[in-house]
Amino acid sequence: MEGFKNLIVILLSSVLVNNYVLSRFLGICPFLGVSKKLNQAVGMGVSVTAVMLLATFATWPIQYFVLEPLGLAYLQTIVFILIIASLVQILEIILKRFSPALHQGLGVYLPLITTNCAVLGVAINNITDQYTFIESVFSSLGCGLGFLLAMVLFSGLRSRIDEMEVPDNFRGVAITLIAASFISLAFMGLAGIVDNLFA
Amino acid sequence: MKKNSCLSIVLNGIIKENPTLVLILGTCPTLATTTNVFGAFGMGIATLMVLICSNVLISLLRRVIPDNVRIPCYIVIIAGFVTVVQMIIHAYLPDLYDMLGVYLALIVVNCIILGRAEMFASKNSVGRSALDGLGMGIGFTCALCVIATIREVLGAASFAGMSIPFLADFKIEFFVKAPGGMVVYGLLIALVSALTAGKAPKKKEFSCAGCPSAGMCGNACTPQRKENV
Amino acid sequence: MKKSVKSIAVLVSICAVVSVILALTNAITAPIITQNEEMAANAALLEVLPDGGSFERADTTAYTLPATVSDVYLASSGGHVVRLTTTGYASGMVLMCGINPDGTVAGTKLIASSETPSIGGAAAESFASLLPGRSLADIDGVDTVSGATKTTAAYRSAVRDALNTVVILGGGSVDLRTDEEILADALNEALGAANGAFTKHFFTEVTEGVDAIYFADNGAGAVCVIGEQFIALDASYTVITACDNTVADTAKTAVDTVRASAVTALDLAAYEGLPTHLVKAEKTATGNYVMEIKAAGYGITGGNEYHPASGEYIHILVSLTADGRIIDCMTLSQAETDGIGSACADEAFYGQFDGKTEETYNSIDAISGATLTTDGYKKAILRAFECVRIFEGGDPS
Repeated sequence: MEGFKNLIVILLSSVLVNNYVLSRFLGICPFLGVSKKLNQAVGMGVSVTAVMLLATFATWPIQYFVLEPLGLAYLQTIVFILIIASLVQILEIILKRFSPALHQGLGVYLPLITTNCAVLGVAINNITDQYTFIESVFSSLGCGLGFLLAMVLFSGLRSRIDEMEVPDNFRGVAITLIAASFISLAFMGLAGIVDNLFA
Repeated sequence: MKKNSCLSIVLNGIIKENPTLVLILGTCPTLATTTNVFGAFGMGIATLMVLICSNVLISLLRRVIPDNVRIPCYIVIIAGFVTVVQMIIHAYLPDLYDMLGVYLALIVVNCIILGRAEMFASKNSVGRSALDGLGMGIGFTCALCVIATIREVLGAASFAGMSIPFLADFKIEFFVKAPGGMVVYGLLIALVSALTAGKAPKKKEFSCAGCPSAGMCGNACTPQRKENV
Repeated sequence: MKKSVKSIAVLVSICAVVSVILALTNAITAPIITQNEEMAANAALLEVLPDGGSFERADTTAYTLPATVSDVYLASSGGHVVRLTTTGYASGMVLMCGINPDGTVAGTKLIASSETPSIGGAAAESFASLLPGRSLADIDGVDTVSGATKTTAAYRSAVRDALNTVVILGGGSVDLRTDEEILADALNEALGAANGAFTKHFFTEVTEGVDAIYFADNGAGAVCVIGEQFIALDASYTVITACDNTVADTAKTAVDTVRASAVTALDLAAYEGLPTHLVKAEKTATGNYVMEIKAAGYGITGGNEYHPASGEYIHILVSLTADGRIIDCMTLSQAETDGIGSACADEAFYGQFDGKTEETYNSIDAISGATLTTDGYKKAILRAFECVRIFEGGDPS
């Protein structure tokens, strides 16, 4: 029971409190870039969640069963990024082959994910936070869902911004960042909510 | 000004195509490591080192690396240099290492580096690539330091860890928190846009049109490109 | 085909070269990193135990230590540093606790915490400053920090675990029972027939030499507490515990006295000038008074944005002799701030009033951090003295 609570806390805190995009600044590029339309935001969010989970399934065992026993922990960064890049490639090939419909929906976002720092970030953080395998899976799931949530919320905001008369110099990135800061501010209000969930 | 002069390559990275404030690249480290000037400067220099080294090596190998595996090759080279820099910082500057945490490893996925490898180093001589790396690195470092100065002074009433006595009662913690970083960054981009109005290259849009790593996505971005701009 | 072979060859050789370079760099930097980490670890240990000298990790496999303890370091000075990870409510706090050779806390440091930095974190910091110099005897006396009760309570219990650890490592055994558990065990041992269910008697009669009487809920008898002794009486109220005759007589007399006590309710309307805070009053056949009085504590007079006033009075039951000496006192109900004013429901607080008179009642120890609660309580006690004077036909003031 205690273990289950712990997993829920990990999940919720990575969705709400330590949201990767809004409080840790990981995955900002796609957050700003692909959040113009709701369907794009959902597509990107789902793809990132899937890749994060897959990456954790692959990187966690490799870290603990290959790199550490062989004393090669210093190859972590290079091995992880290669794993993620290959995973993205494999996922794309599989989707294309077996589910063209899904590939059409998500395929366009997959290549962008290789250089999404949230994916590499989650893989490395799971190791530095010394999570167990199950905890790592929950933390990646939480981070992915948090990313999806941030994307979906923000796409709603952006469609409003596009209709506004924004001063010339603010148009584009500047106003988008400032708008993002309000979402981030709103998420800060959630701090503490998870700690007291079971209190 | 002679277009190809060494100075212009360096200045191009610092001012005209400043990666942070004009090209809007590497947003993650820009926001995450600018809560204090020391961390921002360290992040800038670490990125600068990786940028120069990877630019030089990729330029050296540009005739050896086959086109179809160039992206994996670049990633391996960049990740290698990142790890070297990471280990050196861990050994000699442990404080900085603790401060930067995971963001040090994440230099690997900083699009400035892959972008310059793809757009510049793979097409230019070793010397010019090194200068480009230097310019871009300095531009990145300067931008980070400017943002960090604003955030640290306003948010923590200190500069590079040294507290500013008379400001201590007026610090606005908002600025060292996540939303504050976004606001400062957004306002600076608007300021740069106002200062360079008309002169700067047309501000690149997000997504693939403005993304130097578009090359690696191949045609993946085409559907979005239509929707952009 | 040839092209792809070349591609793979190039990629593989780049990987190989990069790996070799990394291995070389690692060979150079790894020893430095290890050394740095050792120095940093040592510095962290010195921070909580400044006179520690050098440290060595202690082998604790032979001992059963509290679950929160993760590492114990032995200092060359003879002190210890214990590394703990809290469990339960405020779980996940990692802290170091330095303990001097004399068994007092030298210093503590919070290393990692999932607490909200602005609330729990700051509280832990200010709480930590109260700890140096404390030992097992007085660690429980350190008050929790308001607004972060759970954090500080977890912190305190972790430090208590650290102190216990040192005792255990020194070959001692530690009684991990709470005061309530110790009392319950003693009662059960004295009168097993009660099956552990006792009700503490509220004294309405003066009984010399007896500290407390517990009646078995099932009628199996009673236990008289006289100093350190627990004297049991069976269902017919005969002393069954082997003890000194005088002690047995004292116990028997006390139990008989309290059992014979009879009360009649007083008609409050018959008296003038009674305070409105008097809820009800009774008089015993021996002329003592038993009163229920409302006290206006924080719940009535206090309240701020963090701890709004509950609007509830504290209800106090108090018995006095006709000449104004308190026989017994207890808190019936209260809704003061949890963890602060709520201490007025602890026997450690209201037990202080026993035997006090109007001249001496003011000297009790206040509940720290709960001035309004304490003041309201004392005022109610003062009213009890006034009531007795009125019932005795005297001048109320």
